[in-house]
Amino acid sequence: MAQNDPLNKKSSISAEDLTRLSKEAEATATPSSRQIIWKEFKADKIALTSAIIVVGFILFVIIASFFIPAGSYKAVNIMDYFNKPFTPDFWLGADSSGRSVAKLLIVGSRNSIGIAIGLTLISGTFGIAYGLISGYFGGMTDMIMSRIYDFMLMLPTLMFIIVLVTIIQNYNAITLTLILSLFQWMGSSRLIRSRALAESRKDYVAASKTSGTSNFKIIFREIMPNISSLIIVEMTLAFAGNLGVETGLSFLGFGLPNGTPSLGTLIANATDPTNITQYWWTWLFAALEIIVLCLAVSYVGQALRRSADASQRLGDK
Amino acid sequence: MSLIEVHDLEVHYPIRSGFWNRVTDEVLAVDGVSLSIEAGETYGLVGESGSGKSTTGKSIVGLEKPTHGQVIYKGKDITKSANRQKLDYNQDVQMIFQDSLSSLNPRKRIEDIIAEPLRNFGKLSKDEEKLRVLQLLDIVGLDADALYKYPHQFSGGQRQRIGVARAVATNPKLIVADEPVSALDLSVQAQVLNFMKKIQRDFNVSYLFISHDLGVVRHMCDNIAIMHRGRIVEMGTRDDIYNHPMHIYTRRLLSAIPETSVAHREEARAKREAVEKEFQENQQRYYDKDGKVLPLLDVTSTHKVALPADEVAKLQREAD
Ligand SMILES: Nc1ncnc2c1ncn2[C@@H]1O[C@H](COP(=O)(O)OP(=O)(O)O)[C@@H](O)[C@H]1O
Ligand SMILES: [Mg+2]
Repeated sequence: MAQNDPLNKKSSISAEDLTRLSKEAEATATPSSRQIIWKEFKADKIALTSAIIVVGFILFVIIASFFIPAGSYKAVNIMDYFNKPFTPDFWLGADSSGRSVAKLLIVGSRNSIGIAIGLTLISGTFGIAYGLISGYFGGMTDMIMSRIYDFMLMLPTLMFIIVLVTIIQNYNAITLTLILSLFQWMGSSRLIRSRALAESRKDYVAASKTSGTSNFKIIFREIMPNISSLIIVEMTLAFAGNLGVETGLSFLGFGLPNGTPSLGTLIANATDPTNITQYWWTWLFAALEIIVLCLAVSYVGQALRRSADASQRLGDK
Repeated sequence: MSLIEVHDLEVHYPIRSGFWNRVTDEVLAVDGVSLSIEAGETYGLVGESGSGKSTTGKSIVGLEKPTHGQVIYKGKDITKSANRQKLDYNQDVQMIFQDSLSSLNPRKRIEDIIAEPLRNFGKLSKDEEKLRVLQLLDIVGLDADALYKYPHQFSGGQRQRIGVARAVATNPKLIVADEPVSALDLSVQAQVLNFMKKIQRDFNVSYLFISHDLGVVRHMCDNIAIMHRGRIVEMGTRDDIYNHPMHIYTRRLLSAIPETSVAHREEARAKREAVEKEFQENQQRYYDKDGKVLPLLDVTSTHKVALPADEVAKLQREAD
């Protein structure tokens, strides 16, 4: 773009006006999405409370677990066998081995939430990218990618996970997360694909192509922001669901290796009938925690969804 | 030499059906179109909805891959994407879309929308870029406070101006304008057309102006091609098309232009009905036995029409 560009001759605007005009424009700028989300949460007190609970709780268990040495919740202590809750030494009681339920709950929550977050991030990122690419390119690419997807969906997931967990001798929270991710990414990818397919046909994508933007940038910078509300809702719901995946597996005895506390292993105490009635503190707190977390996460998800969709916002009223 | 030449362009879409999703048929969206656009002119491409105008336009900007034929720009066939890359083709050939809302990314601010081609094709500093965007906004008659707004905050006419600003950002040589005013109110249509003409004078850009309405094209175009069923039925200068229409389909489009004066309304309606009757009854004279448009033949040096050879010979004698 040379100096003798027709624009400079035809437009009365010159470099001297730049700062003044930019300032004027900024004064009337539309709020950014971060401001909109903040307004939405201020307008919806339940969602705000939920967000504080979720974030606060996650921070609490992560920080607190650093102060609980592994020995202190692993050691068996016959003397404290089924100690009652709400006592000075055992706030939430003790289990059949005399271990503090409070400590198990904190470390267990950290493990379970960590796995759920890891699982959501890994499988969500992959699933979203898969769906976006499949829908954007369409045609042959889409057909092959959809067949692979269908094949993955057909596999008996639970059986595979159990087999893999049995075969792999030394696995820990990280390997378990990776194994689970292999079978969890399909969840969001189908929905994302169909939205990406519809979005790719819109003229703004054609305009980006003629503007010289690369496919990669069009997919992740043009199309993805337009389905961000769907992605946010998908990810929050997936997170709530993924909390259940590890819990369920550990409950069945195929989750984290023995001796690694998790919400699932705590709830598994409820498989014993006497525990259910007499020693309720061994499992009830973990169960309550899961319920509260899942509910709070879904409230947060709904508020995020509303802020992404201009017609549903509460914060604008 | 022409700015751009289209040779025998064909775009056929496969229709898949059945259990195996096999190709069972084809849509002949564009079925042998040739035309050439000169530098600085406005070339009209007119036809009913579904006649293949958008597909032709998209093939010319490189958005659609033709099944056959060539589009020659600077001596290279730009239907091949390697040639488009080499020429930085889209810096020179841009598009304006019919649906102004869908053509602007709802998640992007106007500044980022207009700057998109500048960022990809140019090497401007942040300030240079912003200045250029402001100038472009100024040229299309929008204030600086549009900069940080989103597309949905503008009216249809304003959005179309933004689309035009984006299209002229890189000083292109040709803009394919696909029904740029069809979605706008009549009063706004005239405004947008006028500033498109102004931009043409200022930037010396060519337009391929696509429309379904010969009325809109009248004051814009130097040359016009009439398209029907994926082919061109008649092409010529503005005078050829408006004052000496030869193909029944052209006459039909002309009779469909709304009559503004009340006095002539009845007359116009009677004429429209007469043309429609002839179109329905004499199809076999104007189209081949499969209903396809006949090959184009020269009547004068500027005027071509898709009619049987004997009719064209008669018309040629009349023209002389
Ligand atoms: N992607 C596509 N797949 C299949 N058919 C298409 C596609 N795009 C357009 N068509 C068909 O091609 C024909 C011409 O379409 P188009 O070029 O949009 O016409 P116009 O712009 O003149 O209204 C129409 O019959 C349309 O249905
Ligand atoms: Mg069209």
